[in-house]
Amino acid sequence: MQKEDYIKRCQELTVGSGFQLSNYVLSEVRGYRKSKSRKLPVIWIETSDSGDNNIAFMNTTYPYLGQVFTDLIDLLYSNTFMSAQGQDAINILEQAAVKLRGKFTLVVEGAVPLKDNGLYTIIARTEDHKLTALEAVTWLGPLAEYVVALGTCASFGGISAARPNITGSVGVRKVLNREVINVSGCPINPDWFVGTLAHLLLYGRPELDNLGRPTLFYGFTVHRHCQRRSYFDQGQFAKELGDIECMFSQGCVGPKTGADCPYRQWINHVNWPVKANTPCIGCTNEDFPDGSSPFFTPLPEKLPEKNE
Amino acid sequence: MGKKRIMFSPVTRLSGLLSVEVVVDRGVVSIANAGGTMYRGIEHIMKDRHITDAIYMTQRVCGICSLAHGAVASYLLDELYDHELSENAQYLRNIMFAADILQNHIRHFYFFSIPDYVKMPNQPPFEGQNLIDVRLSPQDNARLLEHYFRSVVASQECHQLLTVFGGKAPNQHSFVHGGVAVAPTADKVNQALSLIASVHTFVKECLIPDTELIARVYKDYFKIGQTPRRLLSFGMFRFGTKNQLSHWQGGMLTGNKISALDIQLITEDITNAWYLPVDGQVLPAPYKPGAYTYIKSFQYAGQPIEMGPLARMLINGFYRGGTSTMDRIKARSLETLLITELVMEWLGKLVPGPPPIRQKQKLVQEQAVAATDVMRGSLLHSVRLKDEKVEEYKIITPSNWNFSPKDKNGQLGPVEYALTGTIIPNPKLLNTILGRIIRSFDPCINCGTHVLNAKGEVTDKIIF
Repeated sequence: MQKEDYIKRCQELTVGSGFQLSNYVLSEVRGYRKSKSRKLPVIWIETSDSGDNNIAFMNTTYPYLGQVFTDLIDLLYSNTFMSAQGQDAINILEQAAVKLRGKFTLVVEGAVPLKDNGLYTIIARTEDHKLTALEAVTWLGPLAEYVVALGTCASFGGISAARPNITGSVGVRKVLNREVINVSGCPINPDWFVGTLAHLLLYGRPELDNLGRPTLFYGFTVHRHCQRRSYFDQGQFAKELGDIECMFSQGCVGPKTGADCPYRQWINHVNWPVKANTPCIGCTNEDFPDGSSPFFTPLPEKLPEKNE
Repeated sequence: MGKKRIMFSPVTRLSGLLSVEVVVDRGVVSIANAGGTMYRGIEHIMKDRHITDAIYMTQRVCGICSLAHGAVASYLLDELYDHELSENAQYLRNIMFAADILQNHIRHFYFFSIPDYVKMPNQPPFEGQNLIDVRLSPQDNARLLEHYFRSVVASQECHQLLTVFGGKAPNQHSFVHGGVAVAPTADKVNQALSLIASVHTFVKECLIPDTELIARVYKDYFKIGQTPRRLLSFGMFRFGTKNQLSHWQGGMLTGNKISALDIQLITEDITNAWYLPVDGQVLPAPYKPGAYTYIKSFQYAGQPIEMGPLARMLINGFYRGGTSTMDRIKARSLETLLITELVMEWLGKLVPGPPPIRQKQKLVQEQAVAATDVMRGSLLHSVRLKDEKVEEYKIITPSNWNFSPKDKNGQLGPVEYALTGTIIPNPKLLNTILGRIIRSFDPCINCGTHVLNAKGEVTDKIIF
């Protein structure tokens, strides 16, 4: 609020009796502090997944995980971290969904099975009810300010939906009738996820590509910035894993994979698959893993989809 | 008080989705049904794929132990292609594997277990903690809280060590069939030495004393959550040109007697699991009456078996103790310290040279089994091939064993056994007490829900 308004209000209240002035000042200060110490409220549900994105998240550096908790997000519900358990945890989830309706970010880690009423993934049970991933996502999704699909399974189905997909698993976007921010990866690079959370907090919705992924991280192909591009361009291909030349001959799908791994690298930015003398297997792609299989067969010879 | 049926769900602070339903009869747990509530069917997914896809694919079974699956799949492929592993490959593989184990154990103790015993700050994600049985003094509590946040860095350093050689973590890339695709150059070895020194310091200065403190202050848990003294290990840390040796020995511990293992004695049972035989296959059946879990039941020589760090530490003579909640926690912390020392030793054994990998292209056999201990116990992969394509891939994980539901004879798996008979002095303490027992097993339900016959007969016995 403006300085002039504040002074005017103070002068008005000095005239009255009681503690009107101090009450007014206190409430203004509290309100100011609350708005300034804003963090992103996050409800994180784990669905049909391996949990690898959670582990990748734990590997974030600058900020490290502790600082993410103190400065970046209020992690209200998390099957991995929360102290509360059982009904206490469910109560926290239900209260957060109501109190922070329209304000929380829903993070979904994992795909959503559709077959058999979604009974292949049950997030929580009460005496008489099984809360499936399908129900949880369709309940919480519309209430969230942002929905972040964390990992390739949540974004596109991923491994959980790999053929023959007997659970009928799909990505979150197929279950919700609203925009979903797809932070894909198997797992995600911690920077992609923590960076997206930071963007939401600081600047709101990031620019997304045609797959709903932040262009900040997925806008260029792995191939474009690969350090071995000169080998590719000169036709010098690796004969086997462990070689120093281009991994295209060993199955690399960098040319069709959106990700910045060559620049960003992994876990305090020390390495990435091609630098480790193995091919990129396209883990951020919509068609991962089937579109990258067999992993060690060159891209032009990989098998066409069996079920489409 | 009478009988009360209570659903403890979700069991938080573990890997995956777990619900435990108990009946409490006059203050004692009379029935415990521990249920894994997620199913993906990775073995189904493996069918018809090229066998060399198994390493990267099976690593996606689980994020907190991903290299464990990649390692066992690599050993499987090594046998199928008759690979020979150089010494550098052997040491480097074990260093990478050890780094993943360390990450797991440190995170299990601090992220998963500590909030059971330590008063956490009343802010997300720690809000709403049940504080009825928090016993530490304010100074001790503050110190362990500080260590919780230090463990963030120590566990990250373990995965950085893995990534220096593996390319990324979880789901590393370079530990594959035939060896490791990355050369142990001086700079990488040096970075790894620096990282393990830091981790070792943390384990010595924080993890071990914190474990001792918890064990002292909560010593009643040496008598809570006990299991029958039947533990199994397939040995851990494979060495030898054909992966034929184990640095830590395996065996079957019954009472105080250790005997050799025979994988032909393994059987599986779906009586209480959400599966039914359908046209000669075993398929998931989420509506099956009476069933309560996607985890199949396993027996060795007809009996449920426990596995994990406690099994390994007892069998190898590093730990003397019982099979209670606190014994499992102590054994895991001891194992963590021992593994940091092994990593330092093995880093010193690496010699400069090219990437220690040599892959053959021709199969010498069309089926194989590989089994070795990993973070939570023994992991087994087996495969039948036709022309390098998977006909049938089987995975049996440690959590299958520890979280086995009751079999057709009503025998209790280790976790259900540990929970049954537990005294609940105050109904408000139920989840706290059960949670402590359950977490001492280091649950991983993403791993617990596999094993499916892709085709073939339904039999009680596993065909290897």
